[in-house]
Amino acid sequence: MRAEPAVRGASSAPPLPRRRGPIAGASKLIISLVSCILIIAVWEGAVRFGFIQPLFLPAPSQIVNRAMLMLEQGTLFGHVIASTWRVMVGFVLASCVAIPLGIFLGTSALSRAIFDPVLSFLRPLPSMSWIPLSLLWFGIGESQKYSIVFMGSFAPSLLYVMEATKGVDPLLVKAAQNLGAKQKDVMLEVILPASLPQIISGLKVMLGIAWTCVISAELVAAREGLGFLIMNGKEYFQTDTVVLGMVLISLTVMATDIVFRALERRILKWKD
Amino acid sequence: MNVFRRTVLAGLAATALFGGCMWPAVAAEVEVSKVSYGGSPWLSHYPVWVGIKKGLFAQHGLEVQWQSFSTGSARMSSLAIGEIDFGGTGSISAIALMASGAKAFYVIAAPDSYATVEGIITTPDINSVADLKGKKLGVPFATSSHVLALDVLEQAGLDPNKDVTLINLPSSDAPSALMAKQVDAVTTWTPAFNSLKAQPNTKVLLDAREFSLYKQFKLGPGPDLLVVNQSFADKNPKSTTAFLQGYFEASQFIKDNPDEAAKILMELTQLPMDEQSNVLKDIEWIGLADQQKMLSPDGTFTKGLQSLADFLVRHKQIDTAPRIDQWVKAELLP
Repeated sequence: MRAEPAVRGASSAPPLPRRRGPIAGASKLIISLVSCILIIAVWEGAVRFGFIQPLFLPAPSQIVNRAMLMLEQGTLFGHVIASTWRVMVGFVLASCVAIPLGIFLGTSALSRAIFDPVLSFLRPLPSMSWIPLSLLWFGIGESQKYSIVFMGSFAPSLLYVMEATKGVDPLLVKAAQNLGAKQKDVMLEVILPASLPQIISGLKVMLGIAWTCVISAELVAAREGLGFLIMNGKEYFQTDTVVLGMVLISLTVMATDIVFRALERRILKWKD
Repeated sequence: MNVFRRTVLAGLAATALFGGCMWPAVAAEVEVSKVSYGGSPWLSHYPVWVGIKKGLFAQHGLEVQWQSFSTGSARMSSLAIGEIDFGGTGSISAIALMASGAKAFYVIAAPDSYATVEGIITTPDINSVADLKGKKLGVPFATSSHVLALDVLEQAGLDPNKDVTLINLPSSDAPSALMAKQVDAVTTWTPAFNSLKAQPNTKVLLDAREFSLYKQFKLGPGPDLLVVNQSFADKNPKSTTAFLQGYFEASQFIKDNPDEAAKILMELTQLPMDEQSNVLKDIEWIGLADQQKMLSPDGTFTKGLQSLADFLVRHKQIDTAPRIDQWVKAELLP
């Protein structure tokens, strides 16, 4: 027989739970991999055993088959490249205008007061609403598609840059000015480096938004591209093509995100 | 005042008695009295619009609720999941849905033919389909006009993937794109087809009578179909038949009274009276008497539709050709 402890709660008290540390890299990878496999297996099973009709959601194997078929026909990469190019051109053009303009607006209260009404007008407009005007202005060629991505990502990018610039500690600016820095030096040596991390974070978000614009861009007068692939698949009730287009967009965004992160590390080396 | 009140009460009593006698009779005719229809301003939906406005469905105990859809695929999706009971659609959408394995609908009629209001319109320098080599042809993809373009290019020995640049162009954008010379030709349907035809610097290169299946079966590149949700039709065959009765009475009314019909349809299409009348002149309404024969397994329409499905497979638009007769339900016709 075991003796009861003399004082309750002293030696018999359960040990306090230890604070768990972050999941190690390898474990995280394994957990993610297992969860992925599990989701795909359940999804495949649900379609194969008739719980879900393939018209509403095709099985992963059907999507893979569609991808293989398009690979054989040599059309798959054409769609990915066409959309990636449209997104990149539209997004880079939008960034080239939004970054300098955003820094300018972020540092000048007067210019903000002037441009605010225009920005407030542009900001809520979805990229799709630009289709009729873009067709009249640019026709049905590639420039029309770039313009849709540009218009869909310009105003939000501008706001990100403006907010990032406004967020720079005024003490830093004051200190530089007291040390005799000119306006241009303050802009290039203080405001730009201080706001750059936030600007880059904003642009990363905007790159994802630019990808949503490509669907609108490829609604009219496109014969290839992931947006076209999805919309054409929809017209023919080929839901495997539709989901394949969605998967390819996600994978391409993930790949561009990796490139963007590498660039970010390179540009913001001083942060380390 | 008392006399007036007595008259009113007597009137109400008589109405209630009359209505009470009549209502069970109507209810016995059809299983459900309220049905929904998916339509658009396209001409195949005209009979339903006119039937609603003229009370022709009501005479068969049906109240038809009109739901607007901008594309055939959206309408068919809605029909497949049972959101609407009836719909009109182009056959390309219907065949594509059949090819995807969806059994959720029946084809119950082939209401019209309009081969002269769809075709290819070009700039004046193009004189034949062969002249389209190396040119830009605007086509609304996944539609009857797309099928027409693929077919006539094939007939002329041109490869649509190499010899001609096909550009996905909605029918509504065709006039501005051709007039601005952004494309050399467009394949489109009315009203864009008719409005372009009227322009001085354009030429009608061909219309849908040049479609190979039209020459063989008198079938346009995307003939219209009247469809019904399968489960609705199985549960409510009398309501389905009543709908078809109303539909064909309405199409007969349009045929017999084109001016009055045009006036009624202006609200739906927003076309001016003269344009609306011209559109009506170009439609051939296929009457109820011809439907059974056309929709039988050996009927010209069913055979033609099967050939159309095979054509879509050959041009890699769908993966496999469905057996069309499995979706046709001609026995529901009155």
